[in-house]
Amino acid sequence: MSVLQSWLVQALFIFLITGSIGELIDPCGHISPESPVVQLGSNFTAVCVLKEDCMDYYHVNANFIVWKISHFTIPKEQYTIINKTAASVTLTDVASLNTQLICNILTFGQLEQNVYGITLISGLPPEKPKNLNCIVNEGRKMKCYWDPGRETYLETNFTLKSEWATEKFADCKTKRDTPTSCTVDYSPVYFVNMEVWVEAENALGKVTSDHINFDPVDKVKPNAPHNLSVSNSEELSSILKLTWINSNMKNVIRLKYDIQYRTKGASTWSQIPPEDTASTRSSFTVQDLKPFTEYVFRIRCMKEDGKGFWSDWSEEASGITYEDRPSKAPSFWYKIDPSHTHGYRSVQLMWKTLPPFEANGKILGYEVTLTRWKSRLQNYTVNDSKLTVNLTNDRYIATLTARNAVGRSDASVLTIPACDFQGYLAESKCYLITVTPVYADGPGSPESVKAYLKQAPPSKGPTVRTKKVGKNEAVLEWDQLPVDVQNGFIRNYTIFYRTNIGNETAVNVDSSHTEYTLSSLTSDTLYMVRMAAYTDEGGKDGPEFTFTTPKFAQGEIEAIVVPVCLAFLLTTLLGVLFCFNKRDLIKKHIWPNVPDPSKSHIAQWSPHTPPRHNFNSKDQMYSDGNFTDVSVVEIEANDKKAFPEDLKTLELFKKEKVSTEGHSSGIGGSSCMSSSRPSISSSDENESAQNTSSTVQYSTVVHSGYRHQVPSVQVFSRSESTQPLLDSEERPEDLQLVDNVDGSDGILPRQQYFKQNCSQHETSQDISHFERSNQVSSVNEEDFVRLKQQQISGISQSCGSGQMKMFQEVSAADAFGPGTEGQGERFKTAGMEAVLDEGMPKSYLPQTVRQGGYMPQ
Amino acid sequence: MDMSWDSWGMLACLCTVLWHLPAVPALNRTGDPGPGPSIQKTYDLTRYLEHQLRSLAGTYLNYLGPPFNEPDFNPPRLGADTLPRATVNLEVWRSLNDKLRLTQNYEAYSHLLCYLRGLNRQAATAELRRSLAHFCTSLQGLLGSIAGVMATLGYPLPQPLPGTEPTWTPGPAHSDFLQKMDDFWLLKELQTWLWRSAKDFNRLKKKMQPPAAAVTLHLEAHGF
Repeated sequence: MSVLQSWLVQALFIFLITGSIGELIDPCGHISPESPVVQLGSNFTAVCVLKEDCMDYYHVNANFIVWKISHFTIPKEQYTIINKTAASVTLTDVASLNTQLICNILTFGQLEQNVYGITLISGLPPEKPKNLNCIVNEGRKMKCYWDPGRETYLETNFTLKSEWATEKFADCKTKRDTPTSCTVDYSPVYFVNMEVWVEAENALGKVTSDHINFDPVDKVKPNAPHNLSVSNSEELSSILKLTWINSNMKNVIRLKYDIQYRTKGASTWSQIPPEDTASTRSSFTVQDLKPFTEYVFRIRCMKEDGKGFWSDWSEEASGITYEDRPSKAPSFWYKIDPSHTHGYRSVQLMWKTLPPFEANGKILGYEVTLTRWKSRLQNYTVNDSKLTVNLTNDRYIATLTARNAVGRSDASVLTIPACDFQGYLAESKCYLITVTPVYADGPGSPESVKAYLKQAPPSKGPTVRTKKVGKNEAVLEWDQLPVDVQNGFIRNYTIFYRTNIGNETAVNVDSSHTEYTLSSLTSDTLYMVRMAAYTDEGGKDGPEFTFTTPKFAQGEIEAIVVPVCLAFLLTTLLGVLFCFNKRDLIKKHIWPNVPDPSKSHIAQWSPHTPPRHNFNSKDQMYSDGNFTDVSVVEIEANDKKAFPEDLKTLELFKKEKVSTEGHSSGIGGSSCMSSSRPSISSSDENESAQNTSSTVQYSTVVHSGYRHQVPSVQVFSRSESTQPLLDSEERPEDLQLVDNVDGSDGILPRQQYFKQNCSQHETSQDISHFERSNQVSSVNEEDFVRLKQQQISGISQSCGSGQMKMFQEVSAADAFGPGTEGQGERFKTAGMEAVLDEGMPKSYLPQTVRQGGYMPQ
Repeated sequence: MDMSWDSWGMLACLCTVLWHLPAVPALNRTGDPGPGPSIQKTYDLTRYLEHQLRSLAGTYLNYLGPPFNEPDFNPPRLGADTLPRATVNLEVWRSLNDKLRLTQNYEAYSHLLCYLRGLNRQAATAELRRSLAHFCTSLQGLLGSIAGVMATLGYPLPQPLPGTEPTWTPGPAHSDFLQKMDDFWLLKELQTWLWRSAKDFNRLKKKMQPPAAAVTLHLEAHGF
């Protein structure tokens, strides 16, 4: 302390020297910088420059400079001699806030002479202000506040800046005593967003807070509702109605409220559910209050959407709920004056006044009735809490009710025994002994106890029955024995149960129960159960009860059935899914794709086309998308069959040209009516030379196919026949068949063949194919053909459905087809016939033959 | 078997898609709110200003004294022709397009604001000056709000024609009574304009809501 004082004196001296007398007495040098502000913890370097004349006077130079800080000499290691006249000192990690730094010179005789001194001020740059927020107190100007961050130890100015998108407002400079808030100079304009931020600045720096953008109406703190008043309702004693006047903000924004209440004298507030007061209003009815009780209320409000601030609480207001009838009868007692005379006695009845929470209002009086045994009653109305009456020596029953403005309480009843009442107590009868304390100010609450003079076993046993019977358990229930038959205190019950053949089992049950669950029963069994009740003196059995446990527990069947059904459903679903995924494979095996002849076209049907082995593929199915192909098919079949006599076939073919129309049409008819048209036209145009493309192509194929490759002929026949399965499975047989046909035997193999393909639509086509080949190859074999037809029809009957379907399609196509030409019409009729003919599926092929005109030929 | 796994995968994928559907950003549009909120705010502001003007006009007319503060005082509109008129034929008003509607509002308030500032300079009592100043600021805010709405909708702000900039010139020819008459009409016209603007922005508000819903629906459909 003394050090500090002496230092202060020294400093004062220096300042006097350098300050006031400075002009007169020139200092020996100076320190640069003059008045530094340094950040705490940083390094600082000062330079002391000596004047030449001074140096000469004292015979010193920069080497003689000694630095002192707060009266202590700074070690030489921190000095730097810059030149003859200047030396610097570096202070590391400046820690103290205000430091005096003095430059001295060491003159002759080791005397220290002050040259110059400075005050080193240190502190911190301002931190970025955080948590900037604003509040608009209703009717006042906006105030913003923030968290300034750490202490800077320096004078720091905070400036609140605000602007609209279109306009800037005047800055708000904080006052020195409130550096963390500022109240702007203007009234805020509601419903226009503004942007606000704070700038903090001191000698070491300047920072800006985050900008906040808001609508001042969302920062409003409304004035509290005022003139709160409370009124009660005569109709309902449990409600109070509050009314108040809202602040003027209600004209600008919608409000919500917070209402609290408590009974007078209570310390904790109860809260009205906020959702009940979530909109602008000026009254509210509080419910579920106690009657005739004083409540205190207070209310506050804020913007409905919860933006902004709650107002202050309003002034408290109180109100008393309306009265209700007393909720409890007063307890009372009597006193009999022992000095009774002339058969009368003086009885004083006394009672306690009801406490307020039971009186539910101001008690206006008490009503007493006295009823002599089997006689009319006497009424008394009393304001006091006691009544003295003269009674005869008989037994009386007294009742007492309390009355207030709303109604009267329930009656409490008291028996005044007869004067000569003598205690005769019977055995095995239950007596209720009641003791009522009587204090100076009235009776207290009575206590009762049950007692027997002497107990006996019950005169009847309890009747047991089942409440619920399960597979392995049964819930038994029974009624308490009536007091008349108890003959004592029931201490416990015993339940006996047994099956038809089994041993009896006994279970003891506490007397407080009226229900018991027997467990570990066997299902589907007859049980006999009975029950005995015991007093201290013994027990008595009740009647026996029988019940049968069911075979299945409740829900057991469902528990089995439901999972099974679910499992079945799941399996089915999985099966369907599997089938769906493997549909191609399944279809291949069971329901192969058959190319639709009606969709075939000639373009692909060339000798260079490789043999179509895979008829299942959709591509091929759809590639055959032209009708002409159909007519081609049969003719090729002809070719095949006719390959031993190639030319002959051609001749035949030519011969048949007239009938070819029929021929082709027959095929067309069988497959699709409209499909026959090209071939019809071709036959119409030219008999001898088949000019139509279809005919030409077709014959070309036949020749080349045949001449170059015998096996390929077969392949073509397949493709023509559009019979995929045959292609893959029956080729050798087919070949054989063809041979057989020629050889006019092999009926059996053919049958087999058809049977195998019975399920396919194409069967008939194939048949027709064979038919035709037959016909073409040997017209004379008509009979044979017929025989075959029969067979075929017999076979195809079994698989007629598919063919039927085809026919329906055909007829439908027909209906839409033009079919104006004569042959077309003929076809049509043929088709019609086919449809009408019940054996049409069978006669499908034969019809071809007929239409082909072979039969007549 | 691959096939079946594929279909299970597809099923799982479908379920995942359905599950995450509510999270599809297109369905939870929280981005640009559009002009709706700013129109709503402007509407609220006109209602607030209307309310504010009611008390201000009462005070100011009292300051002007009788007969201006008499409730049934209804003078002819003399010399107030420079004031923008709020009254308009209902059919014309209905047929206004958004741009024109907003432009008319903007122009009217820029003019009214200039006149009002003149009024402020003449007001005698400090309290009245303060009220007028605050009302001017609020009106400035309304102007900014309208400009904001116009910017949101992509309409250019009307440029004041040179020479038509209204200035408050207390004409020497004006007698004191006529001057007060002008003040009276300025307040009256302001009131009418605020009524009209509330209607204008209510209309705009209603008009802007359905398209927003349609956009949402469209996006939902797109999301599906």
